[in-house]
Amino acid sequence: MVSPAIALAFLPLVVTLIIRYRYYFVLFYRAFLVRVWQDCATGLSREERAFQYVLTNATPGDPDSILEAFDQWCSKVEFISNIGPKKGKILDRLLMEQSPMTVLELGAHCGYSAVRMARCLPLGARLYSVEMDQRNATIAEKVIRLAGFDDDTVRGPSLKMHCTVDFVFMDHWKKCYLPDLQLLEGSGLLGKGSMILADNVLFPGAPNFLRYVRKSGLYEWRIHQATLEYIRGIRDGMAELVYQGIK
Amino acid sequence: MPRGNLITSESDIAITVDNAGDEDEVSSCYEEHEWGKNRVKGREKEREKKKRGNARKKGASRAGRGDEELEERAERGEKGRRRRKRDNHDGKGRERDEEEQAEEKSGRAAKNKKNLKNERTRKMEQEERDTEEGDAKRKKKNESAKREEKKEDGGKRAVKEKANAVKTKKHKKKVETSSEQESSEEEDVEEEEEEEKEKELRPESLSPEELEKLKEAVDEKKKLIQTLRGKPWPMKKKLSTLRESQEFLEKYEGALGKGKGRRLYAYKVMMTKKWMKFQRDFENFKTACIPWEMKIKEIESHFGSSVASYFIFLRWMYGINMILFGLTFGLVMVPEALMGRPYGSMPRKTVPRADEASAMDFAVLWDFGGYAQYSVLFYGYYNNQRAIGWLKFRMPLSYFLVGVGTVAYSYMVVIRTMARNANESGGGDDNSFNFSWKMFTSWDYLIGNPETADNKFASITTSFKEAILEEQESRKDDNIHLTRFLRVLANFLVMCCLAGSGYLIYFVVRRSQKFALDGLDNHSWWERNEVNMVMSLLGMFCPMLFDVISTLENYHPRIALQWQLGRIFALFLGNLYTFIIALMDEINLKRKEEEIVKFNMTVWEASLYNGTVPENSTAPPVTIHPADVPRGPCWETMVGQEFVRLIISDTMTTYITLLIGDFLRAVLVRFLNYCWCWDLEAGFPSYSEFDVSGNVLGLIFNQGMIWMGAFYAPCLPALNVLRLHVSMYLQCWAVMCCNVPQERVFKASGSNNFYMAMLLVILFLSTLPAIYTIVTIPPSFDCGPFSGKSRMFDVIQETLESDFPAWFSKVFSYASNPGLVLPFLLLMVLAIYYLQSTSKSFKEANVELKKKLQMQNEENKKKSKRAALKAAMDLEEARKAMTQAAEQQSNNNASPQAQKDGGENRSSSQRLHHGKNGRNATPLLTDQEGQLPATRAPVPRTYHHGNHGAPGYLPGIPRQTEARVHRAPSLQRH
Repeated sequence: MVSPAIALAFLPLVVTLIIRYRYYFVLFYRAFLVRVWQDCATGLSREERAFQYVLTNATPGDPDSILEAFDQWCSKVEFISNIGPKKGKILDRLLMEQSPMTVLELGAHCGYSAVRMARCLPLGARLYSVEMDQRNATIAEKVIRLAGFDDDTVRGPSLKMHCTVDFVFMDHWKKCYLPDLQLLEGSGLLGKGSMILADNVLFPGAPNFLRYVRKSGLYEWRIHQATLEYIRGIRDGMAELVYQGIK
Repeated sequence: MPRGNLITSESDIAITVDNAGDEDEVSSCYEEHEWGKNRVKGREKEREKKKRGNARKKGASRAGRGDEELEERAERGEKGRRRRKRDNHDGKGRERDEEEQAEEKSGRAAKNKKNLKNERTRKMEQEERDTEEGDAKRKKKNESAKREEKKEDGGKRAVKEKANAVKTKKHKKKVETSSEQESSEEEDVEEEEEEEKEKELRPESLSPEELEKLKEAVDEKKKLIQTLRGKPWPMKKKLSTLRESQEFLEKYEGALGKGKGRRLYAYKVMMTKKWMKFQRDFENFKTACIPWEMKIKEIESHFGSSVASYFIFLRWMYGINMILFGLTFGLVMVPEALMGRPYGSMPRKTVPRADEASAMDFAVLWDFGGYAQYSVLFYGYYNNQRAIGWLKFRMPLSYFLVGVGTVAYSYMVVIRTMARNANESGGGDDNSFNFSWKMFTSWDYLIGNPETADNKFASITTSFKEAILEEQESRKDDNIHLTRFLRVLANFLVMCCLAGSGYLIYFVVRRSQKFALDGLDNHSWWERNEVNMVMSLLGMFCPMLFDVISTLENYHPRIALQWQLGRIFALFLGNLYTFIIALMDEINLKRKEEEIVKFNMTVWEASLYNGTVPENSTAPPVTIHPADVPRGPCWETMVGQEFVRLIISDTMTTYITLLIGDFLRAVLVRFLNYCWCWDLEAGFPSYSEFDVSGNVLGLIFNQGMIWMGAFYAPCLPALNVLRLHVSMYLQCWAVMCCNVPQERVFKASGSNNFYMAMLLVILFLSTLPAIYTIVTIPPSFDCGPFSGKSRMFDVIQETLESDFPAWFSKVFSYASNPGLVLPFLLLMVLAIYYLQSTSKSFKEANVELKKKLQMQNEENKKKSKRAALKAAMDLEEARKAMTQAAEQQSNNNASPQAQKDGGENRSSSQRLHHGKNGRNATPLLTDQEGQLPATRAPVPRTYHHGNHGAPGYLPGIPRQTEARVHRAPSLQRH
């Protein structure tokens, strides 16, 4: 039987842990507990709830208002791992600078980043978006249509692409960053100067991806430091790679 | 290459020199012929031929030479051309020397011719390629040329004697030539290289002049090696040059003795070389003998100097503990074990009957009870016998003096180290040139690990950012009230934490006393070890909490670190003192118990004697076994035991935290990372960093406990040595295996004395209770070396009375008279005050001087800047004047030639401008000339060419002046 005094001596440790990792606790609460509770209570998936909120609160045809509604919902109501407004600004800037004609998005989720990117693309550019989950894909499509983009701008993945991709945005399952990158390299879709932007490389983290990028020498790379979307205090980053081609 | 055909002559140094000299002479002859121009022209053709067939010749000449040394040299020459380049310089120097000599000694011309002839014949042989034959022929021809003795020492000596007169002349010349060589070094080497090849090829006779030259060359090389560091060459060139010169020296230095003494000289040179090598090896050996040096260096290269400083501190601590251990072990424990009464002879040296059954149990021994308690490890075992053994070793006195000596030695060492550190730090002011300091001094050159280097780089950049931010923030102040409030709040929280931990410890100690009264056997292991556990846990976790709280305060990291250290210090100190206060309570309890036991003892003794023997027989005839004798609680042993237990549990906690917190965590992070949903290495748990400040504080407090308890448990230093030894290896391993370099790599040097000051404070605070107990509490009546005395320090008085002559004790009693002691103390205080004030004034003077230096520096900078500006302006003006003069002339002549002249040195636009100006200003010219002296006035400031402008006014020679003006800046620079 451990005496109470010894148990009390552990109090500082507990307090320390709580204070130090409070953001993670908040994240755990918002991203997991609330979600499970809401799933049980409403019977809808998280994305559907988000879409309902957007439908009721946003102006159709106005991408900005849709994005704002999403941000509102994610920060106030529940948590969805979108790219978020702060990192989104970096994305916008890069797109403006690059003005790519062909953009590939891996992991559309519920269409937030697709809308965000489509809004910044130059005229005549195309965005190909890929989503693994069927239900999420339908929601994403609805959101994209709601924002006023049609098939000319945003397309599903079924099309076979023959040209090279100018810009790739990765925000899907973090474990798949590396195999997908290698797949892209192998398929020859990447041309010299193609830019790849990978989200969440620090917090959920894709260490293998980063290690590969560092070692391969095919890329010029840098990491944009930022914080995790909608939660303060958790450091995250986006990796920006520029494909240099095989020398 | 026909190595097998080498002529087997003595591979002596003398011979080597011979041949080398020959070469030199031949080459020099050649040069003579080339430079002097009074030789046959046909030779030149030969020379070219030679150039072409260089390789072949080399082989042949080597065969002919038959000297292994030289062959090696040639080989090396083949391999590394760079070396030859070096030699070229010598060759050049020699050349010039020779050139000068050419006129002087025409007498030597005949000999030289012979030489050349010989050379020619040899070349023919080389073309034949048959080395064996050629060798023989060459020998023959040598004979025919009457130079058969060339290969022997004697012959050469004869030649030398002949040419002695010439030598003296050459001596004078040497100085000039050396300086010439210096300048010629930077000249084009290409053609020299060719000549050098030739030179190397000719292994002919050696004349004294050549020897002389060789000597010169050797001196030259030596000089070069000395001045190499200052040369403005790339490092590669320097290195190769150095290597070449050293090789050259190695080969030829030994050859420079004269005749008979040559061998001795060579021997001497060789011996000096050997000696130097030995010295170097010995230095290496000495470094290797420093314990753990390599380990620490490795850690330093991986983690930067701050982590290494912890290990250096640990090693230093280990050294001190070794000495403490030596004192206690050699002067207290060993004498007692060897010469004192054996175990079981006295009650204090015997386990009591009640405990005998469990005295050997591991649990009891682990708690330092049972046999461990009744051994030399603790105070209670020692006998109060005044002198023990055949040595008449004064045991109690020794015990007391060792106790005092350990403390005194520690004080001495700590203060000495502090003083040394203070000297080293030298008091640079941190406030001025902040950015320059950061810029030029922030790199840690001992880092050898790319990851650490990255971290260091990042930390430097962040420190720059922070410094810039700080600079900005020092001007504006944002919400000062909020920060103040937060700081107060943080301190309040910390105080609460400290108070809570103090109370917890006090509570636990009181509870443990209650347990002790109940009897320890009724309680679980947890309850028995509660005090130590709680103390260790609090010492481990509270700093973490402080760290979290300190983020509230928003201090600069350096200041935050100091606050953190101060708080941890306060925590440890509070815990320690709570522990001691509780211990004091216990001592008082024990003393009350002792009173009762004392009373019971008399009763028991009386009953014993009364019951068994008649009263008149005083000697105790009944032999009671010492285990059965009732005894007092012996509070000294109890205190010693407590400290030993504390140390043990502290050590255990340290090691266990190391294993769990660092090693297990690292293993988990490393291997779970393959199958985890986020990045464990970069994200949340990550690898641990090495916590320098916490570790240093732990070490310091551990040492404090040693100092406190060493008087009552002589085994403590031994235990501590063991602990430090183990933790050295364990921590080295743990750092290298499971820690990552800190994100902010701190420089260690600044905080060294801070830690030392802490150690001093701890030393003082830990000796305080020890001294208090020694002075105020009477020792136990039946255990320890001071039993039976009213105070422990009575042992000194006793020794004085019985072991020293009477006069000494008298003197001592006079000296210890307060009337003498007080003035002495006063004097000491005054001396300290005086010294301190003088040192302060010195420091001020230093600061003043520094300021003055700075001022002067700035002044100089300004001055030189002004001078440079002025010079530039003067130059510009002079140039203008010159161009105007030129223009004027050109205008006068109206010829395009002048314009061409101007175009050579100046840009066309400028010329155009001036030309226009000049043309337009022709009527003004007289005016300009009138002004000129005024503008020229500052020119003499540049001294170097005060008269250079003078011809410029002569309109006849514009080109010359122009050239001069253009050269002027370079002159100035020189």
